[in-house]
Amino acid sequence: MLEIRFHGRGGQGAVVASELLAQAAFLDGKMPQSFPFFGVERRGAPVTAFARIDDRPIRVRTSVTEPDVVVVLDPGLLATTPVSEGLRPGGLLLVNTRTAAEALAGPVGIRRATVDATRIALARGLGTSMMPIVNTAVLGALSRASGAVSPEALDRAIAAFVPARPDANRDAARDGYLQVRAAPAREGPSAAPAHPRPPPVPIPEGPIAFLSSESTPTAAWRTFTPVIHRERCTRCNFCWKFCPDDAIELGADGFPRLRAAFCKGCGICAAECPPKTIEMVAEA
Amino acid sequence: MAKLTIPAEEWMFSGHAACPGCGPALAMRLLLKGLGPRTIVSVPACCWTVIGTPFPTTALRVGVLDNAIEATGASISGLRAAADALGLADVTVVGFAGDGGTADIGLQALSGMLERRTDAIYAMYDNEAYMNTGVQRSGATPWGAWTTTTPVGPAARGKPEPKKDVMGIVLAHRPVYAATLSPSFPEDFDRKVELAKGLRGPRFLHIFAPCPPGWRFDSAETIALGRLATETGVFPLYEVLDGRLRITRKVSTLRPVSDYLAKQGRFQHLTPEEIARIEAQVRTDWERLLAREREDGPAPA
Ligand SMILES: Cc1ncc(C[n+]2csc(CCOP(=O)(O)OP(=O)(O)O)c2C)c(N)n1
Ligand code: SF4
Ligand code: SF4
Repeated sequence: MLEIRFHGRGGQGAVVASELLAQAAFLDGKMPQSFPFFGVERRGAPVTAFARIDDRPIRVRTSVTEPDVVVVLDPGLLATTPVSEGLRPGGLLLVNTRTAAEALAGPVGIRRATVDATRIALARGLGTSMMPIVNTAVLGALSRASGAVSPEALDRAIAAFVPARPDANRDAARDGYLQVRAAPAREGPSAAPAHPRPPPVPIPEGPIAFLSSESTPTAAWRTFTPVIHRERCTRCNFCWKFCPDDAIELGADGFPRLRAAFCKGCGICAAECPPKTIEMVAEA
Repeated sequence: MAKLTIPAEEWMFSGHAACPGCGPALAMRLLLKGLGPRTIVSVPACCWTVIGTPFPTTALRVGVLDNAIEATGASISGLRAAADALGLADVTVVGFAGDGGTADIGLQALSGMLERRTDAIYAMYDNEAYMNTGVQRSGATPWGAWTTTTPVGPAARGKPEPKKDVMGIVLAHRPVYAATLSPSFPEDFDRKVELAKGLRGPRFLHIFAPCPPGWRFDSAETIALGRLATETGVFPLYEVLDGRLRITRKVSTLRPVSDYLAKQGRFQHLTPEEIARIEAQVRTDWERLLAREREDGPAPA
């Protein structure tokens, strides 16, 4: 049995990717399974989905905790989420990034592969520049790097189950297949054993919620970051007034400053700034 | 530095789990600015439960009670009674519920709270569908809008029923104060919240709250869309104090509703005839509002 875990952000299509993978495996004559982690599926928020592929009916119904393959749809997650947690030795880590596979800091003993699915998606007109839909390009890369499904089955699954722009999505998958780059596993002393589970949070007496939401920064949600060009700023504070995340603060000098840990990159501040002095810049 | 036109203090934390560009998140931020720290908020099942209180965190610097989706009205009656019993007369009790939890599932509890004359504010943030569960139509979804339960295809054209007139239902209970608010007009929003805070008895706020993923528009356009809703007459801003209606954002010539509809994926299927039908309804409603304002006349000095 092959076990696969997808990490993405809401809106990128991680859940649909795991479904499409399962559909393609079924067309290959396999017995697949696919389901998402039930959590906050906000646009931009970290999302996890699972797939299993086997020649026999799959009885297990639990989340995938020891995957053979981990697929990361957003490179920003590498810094914020322990994506390779539980990856089996000899397994594969596939990341959507511009970085070369050799440069990827995967755990020892894990094959690495990368594909620039964001560029492919934008070139194929999938999603918006704020939120490119990278799932089909990543699936093409996954087909080649892991052999989990055949490219023909993936073509057919996309044609049958992608309601919007199936042709562009199929082309993106083919691009991903051709452009994925792999690197062998890093050598060295094998990684520490599986991450110990954090202890359960103790429930204190009194109020139930005892941590501020500022203990959970949302910087990793964004694709674009507002850059405030002070020269043209009139200190009207519109950006501060309209931010749904209170991610802009006003300094004593009256100039707005970004609280980068909490900006989700919605673009409201840039859109509302009267002298248009805020620019939305793509995250590196 | 330009003078601040709304209170500087923040009573909502960052780091909450709303989507980028979430109208309801901005609505809460502005509401709490006007209400201040001596506030208790009751939140039923809705997006804001998930936005604000995933265990063990909270996005509000004020007290929060998570309650059942049917129960917001009843819960704020109970909170008021408890606050009074504890001698907390200065605490403002607020219910903050979605349109599904207000116009449909919690309607009788809202009616009960208004009829009991509970001294509390009920705020409905109207994102015009059940968003937390994935965009199902509610009584407050407008006519013609796409949702996952009012699909668009050869045999269906979005929601076939008109939007429920929640303000009409509330006004039939003769509340002390009722108003429509939009985060796109923060000064008008804040004035209404502070006015409501200073009154005693049942008060109702209907807050326009664009939802980028549910309405299918770019998250950067949340504020612009709210402005268009008011400038086209789709969501007029008014208040009713002691039974007297006053339009707080005068619009001399309404913009065509297509300016508002065209920006949203949920209305993309509409034909020119269907848009004309919406336009006609919006204009009729607007004329009625103007007539009511004339009839009520100015407040006695
Ligand atoms: C009695 C009951 N039915 C259904 C649900 C599931 N539920 C949780 S949140 C939600 C959506 C509420 O929609 P709305 O009040 O419009 O708020 P929004 O999610 O749009 O913010 C639903 C249906 C529930 N919690 N209780
Ligand atoms: S893009 Fe601007 S408005 Fe949006 S969250 Fe970031 S700072 Fe706030
Ligand atoms: S679904 Fe809509 S209302 Fe809910 S958090 Fe996202 S933007 Fe806000």
